[in-house]
Amino acid sequence: MTLPSNHYGQNNFGAVDGYAYAAQLSTRVSARLLRDAQGLRLVDQAGETLCTGAPSERERISGGPCLMTFGTAWTFDTDDIQGVELLLGPSDDDWLSSLEVWHPRLFAVVAGCLIGVLIIWKWGLDILVAGAIALTPTGFVSTIDTGNLAAMDRFLTAPTELSQSDQDMVRDIFAAIKDHAPYAPYGDYTLEFRKADVIGPNAFALPGGTVVVTDALVNDFNDPNIIAGILGHELAHVSERHSLRQLYRSLSVYVLIAMMAGDVGPILEDVLLEGSALASLAYSRDHEASADVIGIKTSHAAGYDPAALAEFFEQLTEDYGESGPEWMSTHPSNAERIETIKKLAAEQ
Amino acid sequence: MDTSETFQVQFKGNAQTYFGIWIVNLLLTIVTFGIYSAWAKVRTKKYFAQNTSIDGRRFDYHATGKQILIGRLIVGGGYIAMNVLFSIAPIVGGALFVAFMFAVPYLINRSIAFNARMTSFSGIRFGFTGSYWRAVLVYFVYPFLSLLTLYLTMPFVSRAQHRYYVSRHRYGTAQFAFDSKVGPFYKAFLLAVAWVVGISVVGIVVVAAMIFGSPAVMLDLLSAEADGNDLGIGHIIGMGLFSVLILIAILPAGYIYQAYLRNAVYAGASVAGGHSFTSVVKPAKLLWIALSNAAIVVVTIGLMHPWARVRMARYMAASTYITVEGSMDGIVGEEQEKVSALGDAFTDFEGIDVDFAL
Ligand SMILES: [Zn+2]
Repeated sequence: MTLPSNHYGQNNFGAVDGYAYAAQLSTRVSARLLRDAQGLRLVDQAGETLCTGAPSERERISGGPCLMTFGTAWTFDTDDIQGVELLLGPSDDDWLSSLEVWHPRLFAVVAGCLIGVLIIWKWGLDILVAGAIALTPTGFVSTIDTGNLAAMDRFLTAPTELSQSDQDMVRDIFAAIKDHAPYAPYGDYTLEFRKADVIGPNAFALPGGTVVVTDALVNDFNDPNIIAGILGHELAHVSERHSLRQLYRSLSVYVLIAMMAGDVGPILEDVLLEGSALASLAYSRDHEASADVIGIKTSHAAGYDPAALAEFFEQLTEDYGESGPEWMSTHPSNAERIETIKKLAAEQ
Repeated sequence: MDTSETFQVQFKGNAQTYFGIWIVNLLLTIVTFGIYSAWAKVRTKKYFAQNTSIDGRRFDYHATGKQILIGRLIVGGGYIAMNVLFSIAPIVGGALFVAFMFAVPYLINRSIAFNARMTSFSGIRFGFTGSYWRAVLVYFVYPFLSLLTLYLTMPFVSRAQHRYYVSRHRYGTAQFAFDSKVGPFYKAFLLAVAWVVGISVVGIVVVAAMIFGSPAVMLDLLSAEADGNDLGIGHIIGMGLFSVLILIAILPAGYIYQAYLRNAVYAGASVAGGHSFTSVVKPAKLLWIALSNAAIVVVTIGLMHPWARVRMARYMAASTYITVEGSMDGIVGEEQEKVSALGDAFTDFEGIDVDFAL
């Protein structure tokens, strides 16, 4: 708020003391900005005029000095903020400075920050992710599949060593599941076999619809019902665009936090980063749970026994154990998944 | 005539005024989805620079929000493009990443130059002339070579880095110089290492004796963990011990190192005209301020961050002196050169810190 007295003070006679510096010279000149019968001007201690007229620029950060520029020739700084306001009137960006003043109003600003973060967290990120997904061209997603498959073949996987009959069996299941799976957003679902001992009995889906099944999975779990359940789960990841969502979400979160990094300070930044890492794990667990639900519906519709998937996880727990505390994991705990699967399978 | 006079650096900021600036910055950053952060950064830097003075002469910061935003958009866009490329074609992305590594020394130089150029003191701007190959040498080759000596030569590397950083700076047309024996750098290094080793040995013996009766049991527990059999309780105890170890061994060592290093660097630096610097940071005091700051910030869920930052700035300023030979008057500025905010945004984003702390 600007007091009326500040306004009518604008053309008052008066003076403020400070230091002046000529352009490109460190020499400090004790000076005074003065308005008298001869007008507004900057004078040095001896009374010599350094320059005349109003400053071309004037700047002040709350709690700091007032800095003025007189064309390209002089700068002038002073701590006498009151004096400057009386001499020159309030400055242009006063609204910002007055918002920053120590005042109970700042409680509202703090609350605004918390609410803002909450809104971004709850809806803003989803809107960003949805927007990015809408803008993603189909061809781009298929390229992700080919690119990643090429990279994995180079560093992680080897050609399959499965027998032709095993492959045919899985292909038949895949065809049946595909017919009952939700719509494939980025072109038809395709099946690949790879030998990848480091990841054990496993299957994963690339965002464009390529599903990779490891040899170990087919060898260790040669049960059509289990394979159908797993394929149903993987196709659900594709139709729900889970990997794209995770990619876009983690990118947006990182960029948002990096933008704010300088402002929140190093400790809060670490808290934010750790917190968002944990939250993205929870996000991933939600995706797994939802893929389980959709996958069970799909394999049931295709004529397989969805409860078989529970056996798979029971066997997995027996062979490999639980993989650490759930909150540190990208997947829900096996125990929890077994329970959900049994419940859902019973409902079908 | 030889008159020299010593001035203490003054910091006049206070927690109340900075709190207002900080929280308003944060609010505007949030409601603009991060875009305002560029202006927020400028406002914060201006606040700290303008409230820092030597003998009544102020520092100032001159970058504009727009400059910072453009730099950030380029770097943020590059970061996203790189990530997207990694997910489409990991092999091409990897190759491009290697190519990008070659640009890092250039970006580091741009960053230092930008910050120097945008900072002024007593009306005159600073400047920095980088060299691509010197930067490669001091920031990449030397640290790698010192790795081969098990980091025993790290103080030499640190001295080389600070020589590069300091002596390539200018104040107006007055060149900075850096001349220091390696002894003070070894002192900082060895005291920090001694602290870590001493505390770790004492800590491990004490904790093991307390919890497990004998050290042998703990080794057993640790190897059981590695087998991945029962991660539960062993894991949690391990994590707890690890954070305590970090808190009392590594963190204090970091501040011991930082304090002695800063004192060594300031003692070695000078500006043409014979002006020299003194830093008298005390490790115990620095550690106390840093730890109590961290504790208070955490307890107040971040709200005391401005207070903590002002407190640290005040201590750092009060621990810094400049001895002026003759007068600080009469130093001439140099022609404006164009600098882009690109490098600045890069180091901002990647958290690389090439500053020595003031
Ligand atoms: Zn899954």
